[in-house]
Amino acid sequence: MIRYLMRKVPSVVFVLFASSVVAFALPRLAPGDVAVTLAGSDPTAANIAAIRKELGLDRSPVVQYWDWISGLFHGDLGQSYLLHRSVASLIGDRLESTVELAVFATLLVVVIGTALGVLAGSTRRWWARTALDLGNSILVAVPSFLIALALILVFGVYHRWLPASGEVSVVHDPAIGIQYLVLPAVALALSPAGGVARLLQTEMARVRNEDYVDLALAKGASPRRITLRHVLRNSFGSAVVAIGLEIGTLLAGAVVMESIFNRNGLGQLAVSSVTSRDFTVLQVLILGVVCVAVICQIVTELVLAALDPKIRLGDQ
Amino acid sequence: MTDLPLTAAPAATRRSLNPTLARYLSAFRTPRGVVGLTILVVMVLAALLAPVLFPGGYDQQGATTFAGPSAGHLFGTDEFGRDIFVRSVYGLRVDLSLILSAVPLSMAIGTLLGLSGAISGWLGAGVQRLLDVIIGFPGLILGVCLVAVLGAGWFALFLTILIGGLPSAGRLARGAWLSQQDREYVLAARVLGVSRRQLLVRHVLPNAMDAIVVNGAVWMVVGVYIEAGLSIVGLGVQPPTPSLGVLLNNGLRFVVQSPTYIIGPASLLLLLAVGVSLMSDALNEAVNRR
Repeated sequence: MIRYLMRKVPSVVFVLFASSVVAFALPRLAPGDVAVTLAGSDPTAANIAAIRKELGLDRSPVVQYWDWISGLFHGDLGQSYLLHRSVASLIGDRLESTVELAVFATLLVVVIGTALGVLAGSTRRWWARTALDLGNSILVAVPSFLIALALILVFGVYHRWLPASGEVSVVHDPAIGIQYLVLPAVALALSPAGGVARLLQTEMARVRNEDYVDLALAKGASPRRITLRHVLRNSFGSAVVAIGLEIGTLLAGAVVMESIFNRNGLGQLAVSSVTSRDFTVLQVLILGVVCVAVICQIVTELVLAALDPKIRLGDQ
Repeated sequence: MTDLPLTAAPAATRRSLNPTLARYLSAFRTPRGVVGLTILVVMVLAALLAPVLFPGGYDQQGATTFAGPSAGHLFGTDEFGRDIFVRSVYGLRVDLSLILSAVPLSMAIGTLLGLSGAISGWLGAGVQRLLDVIIGFPGLILGVCLVAVLGAGWFALFLTILIGGLPSAGRLARGAWLSQQDREYVLAARVLGVSRRQLLVRHVLPNAMDAIVVNGAVWMVVGVYIEAGLSIVGLGVQPPTPSLGVLLNNGLRFVVQSPTYIIGPASLLLLLAVGVSLMSDALNEAVNRR
């Protein structure tokens, strides 16, 4: 496993390096000058130059990039020019909200996706299979924001069962916090869950045709044992891959969910820093998302190897 | 003797090109294809003819605000008494113009990038690494980055959809190139002195084409969702221009006063997505039927 991880290092480093350059360069390519914005009512040339010097914007981009990256390695994420606060504290304030949403949604993806997939993959009745098939396809096709709108209309407006806007920290008040979390998390999770379910179902159908299932059948194993021990166990690999792949989608979807449900998370921070051109905040957020996506991908492959003894990482 | 294969080759392509087109067209003979095509044609016509059908434009204000759906206002009216159906049809113009321009371009550029491995192996591998970086950015995050550079608007959305689609087309084209380059007939053609360009156009591209066309149709649905997602967040097309996403964004603000506000634009968006999905399913079926 160590050897496998070592082999992945160059490509991971390249992706992270390229993303950091993109994250650093993109906001700076935008028209407009932070110094002019900061100068506000006194935009004289001298004043602007002084501000640029103070912020270090007069140095070459390469030096600025190097400063930023070496700061990151020392745990210094930088300062927001516009809000006069450290980026770390800005992110720290919002982190909990997004993590709560993402973790809860991922749990739902795993539970709902596996349940629907196993049901669709093991039922023998054609009508149940058709219904589950259709249901999964609809879940995959409908984007999370439309599911969110439907949930808000049904559970937030027509029946006022759950709050459709705002948030309460789950850590401080679990009972109320969960209520605020249910609608956005379900909306975020259903579509990826449909994807996981569909993959699991296809995989189970494929595994059912394998010779060893016939053999188990011939030896007189019960259908239940065949499904659980022989089919399901050998199908989980694809579900794990699907879950790993969906996490990136989930993070992107979280940005929209935060906007729809008025949650004050990292997505909202990213959007506000785009509109206010606060690029020291933005570059950290962009790099953070890419890091999370890369880590998820590696963890997926490790879990896959743990599940399937045929894959021996690093032995080739 | 040496002329023989060269004169035979163009005839063979002419024969193989028409069945290809015929195969794509056969998608529109299946029920799914017919329904999908009908939905899309009606939507494109409505979008094109919007100024003729609704000469008042999308900003015409009426007396009643937040009216529910009625015969006069199919989707009701918004906070300024504007007809939401009219605004939705005008919004459709933005969405359709985005996906119909960005997606074909994205597939074409992606294919070229994928085939760049034919020029030199080193270039092909390098391009793949770059496409991997794009994959690292989930659709909406890419959009956020581009909006940061370009400012919110049609062009940022266009580029998001275009760049986001590159890796899929690139991988499909590269896959075809890698799988075909060692085949005997490709080697034979190479030995006969067929140029690299002809080799790619006649032998490699037809093998990738089916998958890329279907992939393009799938990416159109994603494009519609990217537009809606970014507009809901507030980084899409800027008001007063309506797009389906902008209408959802506005509707969400008044969801308690006027729950019907978002239903119209949302169902139109869903209908557009269903139309494109049906088409891509039908194309997929037609391509795999041979």
